[in-house]
Amino acid sequence: MDVEHAVEDLRHRTLSEIPRSLDRLIYLASMRDYNTGLYYHDGLASRFTQDVACEALADCHREAFNQLVSCSLRDLVGQMEEYINSTHTSPRNFVTAWRKLEPYRVAVPVETDPVVAHFLFSSFKIALAVLEARLRSAQPEPVA
Amino acid sequence: MIQLIFFLSIGALLFASLFFLARRNSRPEGSSGALIEARQALVALQAGLLPAELVHRIFANEDWEFVRSEAPAKVRELFMEERKKVALLWVEQVRTQIRSLRRFHRGSARSYARLNPRLEMELALSFAWLMSACRLLQLVVYVGGPYAAPRMVGAMANAASRACKISEQSLAFLNAAQLGILSSGSTGQAAS
Repeated sequence: MDVEHAVEDLRHRTLSEIPRSLDRLIYLASMRDYNTGLYYHDGLASRFTQDVACEALADCHREAFNQLVSCSLRDLVGQMEEYINSTHTSPRNFVTAWRKLEPYRVAVPVETDPVVAHFLFSSFKIALAVLEARLRSAQPEPVA
Repeated sequence: MIQLIFFLSIGALLFASLFFLARRNSRPEGSSGALIEARQALVALQAGLLPAELVHRIFANEDWEFVRSEAPAKVRELFMEERKKVALLWVEQVRTQIRSLRRFHRGSARSYARLNPRLEMELALSFAWLMSACRLLQLVVYVGGPYAAPRMVGAMANAASRACKISEQSLAFLNAAQLGILSSGSTGQAAS
């Protein structure tokens, strides 16, 4: 019951400010300690307990992941475009960095089915290729 | 000398056969390990691989339409290559989990008196059909790509879901508490 309240609290206070599931996934993955796999959120932990906050964050993380998996490729590309704009990074640099580093690989919740994770990674790869092609056609690289 | 080598070879062959047979039968049928494996296979199929939304997304034609209308040939090729890989992985995983379930039911039919013979027969037929369908679908996707057989994908996913339901019914007498005990027991064994 406490976890449900914590999830509601998290949705109401924090996640409602993050409209895109891609942003929510990245945000919630960043709340996780890579060494322990536990999630931390001081505000939520102070209103509930650390364990409850951790479980609520994990639930919301899974939810954001499932929402992103359900997105069409068109939607994913759109979300990535908006995400790039929100980071104020050069789109070219962003696409290059994401293609090389594949940061989305660490944003997957634990115990995700490997096929589902593979599907999302594959969609990211295609979405980045679509974005790169758009960037190329919008602004041809200068000839040396 | 030739006779000695001949008999030694036969001896080695027999020893190797014995070793492989012993390894193959090392897990007793109906053991807690087999039961947990079957439960895990059921969960993997029902929660991970077979939800209609996921199957629809992997084989979604609208994604291909989007890439075809938006992206150059290189990206279209990448898309087909990637979706083909995912589709083949999906079929392979469904097949692996079905095989795991089948192994459990084949072994446990003799160990659990409470299993319903009619359900077990129905399952045996479903498993046989599914294993063949998976192989065929793998071949079709490998040759024709991820969009080669949409109806077959749907039929296979539905049949696998049905088989899972029958299997679940068949295993209903094994409640969560029993599984919890088995699971903690196996973890303990693994840790020791």
